[in-house]
Amino acid sequence: MTKEEIYERLNHVFQDIFDDESITVNADTTADDIEDWDSLEHINLIVAIEQEFNMKFNMNEVTSMKNVGEMVDIILSRTK
Amino acid sequence: MTLASLVFAFFCIITIIVYFIVPKKIQWFVLLIASLFFLFYNNFSWQTVCQASIILLTSYFIGRKLEKYQNTKKAKWFLLLGCLIIIGLLGYLKYTNFFLNTIKHFLSLFHISFKFKKVTRTTLVGLSYYSLIMISYLVDIYRGKNKSEKNIFKLALFMSYFPILSSGPFVRFSEMKENLFKKHKLNYKALCNGLIRILWGVFKILVISERLAMFVNTVYSDINQFNGFYLILAALMFTLQLYTNFSGSIDIIMGVSEIIGIPLPENFTAPFFSRSITELWRNWHITLGAWLKDYIFYPLLKSDFMQKINTISKKKLGKKIGKKVPLYLSMLIMWLCIGIWHGGAYTYVIGSGLLQFIYIFFEDNLASLANKVYQKLHIKTDTFSFKLYQIIRTYLLFSFSMIFFRAPSVKTALKIIQGMFVFNPWILLDNKSLFTAGLDLLDFRVLIISLIALFIVEYLSTKGKVREKLAQQNIVFRWSILYLLIFAIIIFGCYGVGYDPATFIYEQF
Repeated sequence: MTKEEIYERLNHVFQDIFDDESITVNADTTADDIEDWDSLEHINLIVAIEQEFNMKFNMNEVTSMKNVGEMVDIILSRTK
Repeated sequence: MTLASLVFAFFCIITIIVYFIVPKKIQWFVLLIASLFFLFYNNFSWQTVCQASIILLTSYFIGRKLEKYQNTKKAKWFLLLGCLIIIGLLGYLKYTNFFLNTIKHFLSLFHISFKFKKVTRTTLVGLSYYSLIMISYLVDIYRGKNKSEKNIFKLALFMSYFPILSSGPFVRFSEMKENLFKKHKLNYKALCNGLIRILWGVFKILVISERLAMFVNTVYSDINQFNGFYLILAALMFTLQLYTNFSGSIDIIMGVSEIIGIPLPENFTAPFFSRSITELWRNWHITLGAWLKDYIFYPLLKSDFMQKINTISKKKLGKKIGKKVPLYLSMLIMWLCIGIWHGGAYTYVIGSGLLQFIYIFFEDNLASLANKVYQKLHIKTDTFSFKLYQIIRTYLLFSFSMIFFRAPSVKTALKIIQGMFVFNPWILLDNKSLFTAGLDLLDFRVLIISLIALFIVEYLSTKGKVREKLAQQNIVFRWSILYLLIFAIIIFGCYGVGYDPATFIYEQF
């Protein structure tokens, strides 16, 4: 899977979780950029991403990711 | 050994002197000896040695195994075993009565009588703290966040580091290991800053908290005589008593640790300026909140079980409401854990658990409705008066929940609430009734002035570090403040006859 494909699929997950069709994410997107992205919604997002890509984040990654770029790197390393 | 006592001061001075004069290589070992002395100071017996050893050895050996078997199925089993041993021991030592009592109440629903004898077990100071700290140590190794410690004596120091034993804050191995075993030189700035913080902590405990305690204890010891406004005042005062006692102890702890050269994470950031209960808990006992979030709330929310509930509730209730179900369920479990952690009694489960959950639940769900009402009524929400209203409301709600926290039983707490409805506001005005409850006029004056000082310092702390601002002032001003604090403690500190200053409220947890 390429990074572009991952971003493409992530956009759908984000749009679904935050109920906002206009969301598109990039490597620098953080919780500050999306209004409803608080620590609780973060967990829902993580679970949805896990289901979408059929992989698991460990708890350390869940709490330490800084932006979508780091998220994509982890997904990429798991789905290789 | 209570923190605001001469014994503790003497103990700290000796420890710090020895710490800085021994060869730097063995500095951490001095801390270990001092910590063990502190740990066993009140209760040295084979049972207490066993308790501490079980937790230490479990953490050490399981920690090593977790690292060895990382990312395998075996690691999961070892983690489970480690947590079960530590929680099992904690439960056995602290919660046997609570557990049996719950069974008794449950069986009584079916008219089955169940009798048991209350057991009393000797536990070491800080058991609830270092049990959770060691669980986080194991989980962090499992999650790959830190490596296990090879030297068991170093792990023993992490577990028993004396400043955090009596009242936290909760620390993580990853943030402590570097400073704990590093070689330290005495730093003049850290010494001055630490001393100021210690003095401020002692002031909070001996001048404010202990004075408030005299009133609260008198009222609560005879709630039939002291009713109505006495009870309301006592409830409001207890919240402040608890805060000044707890945060004062944290100040002493942080000051001592700062002098040693090991900074600890903050546990309070002016909680009474919070405009909601949700915000208050972000500023109150911060490290406990962070611990629960990382080790209970998030894992629970992310668990397969909660995700199944998520799927079902979304289907039945729609996406928006459905996704809140697992959230509130996890929150409820977390708040019950907080309540139980505070002590094996229903008063804690209600006061510091259930009620807090209910507050946050309503805050979360009524927020949008409230905003609509404010808009309709043209109430400006960004004004000083509105913020003040929110701050006072938060304080009142929190004080109400603390009635349960303070009362000896749920029954008494309900009686206290009932007693508050006796209308007797004249006790505040008739110039003598108020002074029959443990405090005289001078005490009230001292209390009001000290609370104003506390309020100012807390307010300044929301704008930046108070001690740094103080350091920028002229030397005369700085020393005046310092002397003022010292004399206030000596003159206005509450030291009753044969009375151990400040038996620390949080120490029992």
